[in-house]
Amino acid sequence: MSHVLVVDDSVSVRRLITSTLRMAGYQTIEAGDGQAALTAVRSAMPAAVITDQNMPNLDGIGFIRAFRQMPGSAGVPVIFLSTENADTLKQKAREAGAIGWMTKPFDDQKLLGVIRKVLGR
Amino acid sequence: MMAGQDTRRPRSARGDTTMVTLSLGGELVGIPTGILREVIEPGTITRVPNASAFCGGLFNVRGAVVPLTDLRIPLRMRISPPTEETRILVLDVVLDGTPAVVGILAEEVHEVTEVSGASLEEVPTVGARWPRHFVEAIGRKGDRFFLIPDLDAIFSEHLSSSEAVVALHA
Amino acid sequence: MSNDADDLFLIEARQLAESLEAGLLDMKSRPEDRTLVDSVFRDLHTLKGSGAMFGHTALATFLHDFETAFDAVREGRFAVTAALIDLGLRACDHAVTLLEGGEAAPGQALLAELTALISGGDAPAAAPAEEGAAPEEGAGSGDWQMAFRLAADCLVLGARPQVLLDELRALGATDLNPDFDALPTLIDLEPDRLYIGWRLRLPGHVTEAEIREVFLFNEEDLRLELTREPAGPPPEVEAATAPPAAGPVAMAAAPTPPAAPPRERTMMRVPAERLDEMMNRVGELVIAEARLAELVARTGDAQLVAVAEEIQRLATGMRETTMSIRMTPIDSITSRFRRLIHDLNGALGKSILFEVEGEETELDKTVIELLADPLMHLIRNSADHGLELPEVRRAAGKPEAGTIRLSARYSGAEVVITLADDGRGLDVGRIRARAEERGLVAPEAELDEQATLALILQPGFSTAETVTELSGRGVGMDVVKRTVEQLRGTIEVESVPGQGTRIHMRLPLTLAIIDGLLVEIAGERYTIPLAAVEHIIELPEEHAKRGDGSRFLNIRDQLVPFLRMRELLGSEGPPAPFQKVVVATAGELRVGLTVDRIIGSSQTVIKQLSPLHSTLKTFSGATVLGDGSVALILDVPQLVAFGQIRDSMEAA
Repeated sequence: MSHVLVVDDSVSVRRLITSTLRMAGYQTIEAGDGQAALTAVRSAMPAAVITDQNMPNLDGIGFIRAFRQMPGSAGVPVIFLSTENADTLKQKAREAGAIGWMTKPFDDQKLLGVIRKVLGR
Repeated sequence: MMAGQDTRRPRSARGDTTMVTLSLGGELVGIPTGILREVIEPGTITRVPNASAFCGGLFNVRGAVVPLTDLRIPLRMRISPPTEETRILVLDVVLDGTPAVVGILAEEVHEVTEVSGASLEEVPTVGARWPRHFVEAIGRKGDRFFLIPDLDAIFSEHLSSSEAVVALHA
Repeated sequence: MSNDADDLFLIEARQLAESLEAGLLDMKSRPEDRTLVDSVFRDLHTLKGSGAMFGHTALATFLHDFETAFDAVREGRFAVTAALIDLGLRACDHAVTLLEGGEAAPGQALLAELTALISGGDAPAAAPAEEGAAPEEGAGSGDWQMAFRLAADCLVLGARPQVLLDELRALGATDLNPDFDALPTLIDLEPDRLYIGWRLRLPGHVTEAEIREVFLFNEEDLRLELTREPAGPPPEVEAATAPPAAGPVAMAAAPTPPAAPPRERTMMRVPAERLDEMMNRVGELVIAEARLAELVARTGDAQLVAVAEEIQRLATGMRETTMSIRMTPIDSITSRFRRLIHDLNGALGKSILFEVEGEETELDKTVIELLADPLMHLIRNSADHGLELPEVRRAAGKPEAGTIRLSARYSGAEVVITLADDGRGLDVGRIRARAEERGLVAPEAELDEQATLALILQPGFSTAETVTELSGRGVGMDVVKRTVEQLRGTIEVESVPGQGTRIHMRLPLTLAIIDGLLVEIAGERYTIPLAAVEHIIELPEEHAKRGDGSRFLNIRDQLVPFLRMRELLGSEGPPAPFQKVVVATAGELRVGLTVDRIIGSSQTVIKQLSPLHSTLKTFSGATVLGDGSVALILDVPQLVAFGQIRDSMEAA
């Protein structure tokens, strides 16, 4: 059973994303920061990850790096969320191992489009 | 406090109610089954020191602590010691604006009966020994009369009256 | 479903604003603390980001500049100053206003001030770098020749070339052929790298934008060659996009995140009703467990006893956890007091220090919330009327800055909250005069200092000639008293003229499950909260005789008033031999309660008394014992107070 892991320290943003995904038929799991996300991943490897950057304990890029070190993470796309068009940050995310990014704010259609693209369905 | 009288509806406007009849002070009393939660056998009743005789006890119903009240006190009925037939009726009432659970003592519980609003009568102004403001109406079933107490009036009176306030004097 | 998220956002946003305010206030005393700066920055950033997600564009835009300013601070390009913090606090207020749908206009003024402050402006507007030339519509309808190669590591990152190809096919791609030019020999082949490229044709009506759309998320290291066939304008050749930085990546933050400020904990929001439900369940469990223990003890079966003990251990654990859930430390409301003092400092022209002692002391959540307004009022009073102006203080030899201290501590089964100031104290004479003026006390009535001071808690009393804007908000001292009493607590006023005033609030810990000491009086059982029990002694022979009028016991060289519970409770029958005295405390005072027998201690679930019994002050509640019977819980503070009254009556 594949699911999408949503990582963001804002409960309301997580809720917004997961409810959009669920209504479209995806399963979701949430984490409030990078550390929690790593724990979640260890118990169940998701089919895709959406992660914010600014979070306590372990930020988005830190998480992506650690995630990519994990065996089993190969082939799992990570989408990076950022609030601005700061290229340096996106660059770092890409280098850390994200496949792409979405800029906040984004709407459900955009989100669904991205997930479909990334999960191929 | 004559709350009961103010809110009493004219006989004709009262609908039919299902009531449980019980014996109290040698007389018959009717309690609407709508507020009746259950009837239990009295177990251990804890005395509440310095409380009025009306609500001098506490008992346990499934983990809830419920006060035990004796309607014979406000209704000025004859008090007799408990027997094998004694039961407690657990009721849902309103105390001080909030829903509450209380128990009332019953010397014996009889049957549940349909009572039509039309058959109810006002308490006679003379000859009745019960305080009128505590009695809502008199019911009649065949050749027997039973008293329908105004529970709201009885409880409100108790909550506000000075007899309930007992200072810490030894 | 999005309504749910919207509600959550508002709650979260307010929480963020609070955290932001607290962080800014802390920065006043620790401006170099990096973790504070980081936390403030993070709060600004999260609030901005989620604000944008939920349609609060005014908020997001407003916060953007503040975020940038704090970014500058974070990177050491701008120092933390009092002015910046002050501005930050005002920005926080504005943010809250915006959340509640207020006017956005005031934000402009704040932003202007901010710019002025950080003049020399380091607000690097992130210039969005183009990812290539702007897409151009082919004027002609010539078909596209396309060759592309994805980044070698894209498979690891989760790219799916087959999905890409499907999408291209959906656009009408034809002549799709793989390009194996880059394929290494088998030995050098790394299984997780993509070496294959593709060539294809696309119909001319497909726009470049559509083509780019297909490669969304695969733009990094994408080598894309796109040529329009002749029939249109000169061919468009796409250069490869910028290759990734070859050098090592420099990270602004250290690879291991900085130690999070102690405040960070994973929090969860739970509707209060669910907590109450859980408390009830645990309560019922405790009762059932007690009954089980009793029944099992009678059987004497060792195995059963062992299991019953295990269940008891588990029930205790559960009880402790559930109890602690509703308990919140008082520091959850102290931040607004700090804010108040900060504002008052400016408005009153006085210098005020605010200290809090025992911030971690925990109280039931509802109790804390009810106390917040009364405490605000008391603090305002102290600041406004209690503390003198700096010149006056200096002349009196006091430090120029006045101190207001809030302290919270446990005392037996109570929590004591004290608000103290080192100001001018209360003028007993003036209070008396005012009270007489207001008809609160007859001129000839004799009152000691305690009683006189207590007059300020009466409704209709107010010592200030003018109710100032700061203190006069309808929360009079009498409301404070009423709130405390509503919580079954007591309030006491203490003052030394010239030195200051202290207001003590004693509140019972409203725990639903407590440890109770079960005692027997005339064959009836009662419970005493164990936390209030200091010790138990035998009633000395000389006091054991019935009818003996003595009211004091000498316990460790202290005279302790004692109450013969049998008399108080109207119990029947002769007292047992060897009665015990349970010495219980409430605050600094003690009372001895004479009982026939100590049965033991156990967890007891406190059940509220019915309104029918609410006037009986001797009892604070009832509990269900192991055998199913009900036992009343003695109200220790009331009994202590009664012991004192008796004491003074005796003295009279």
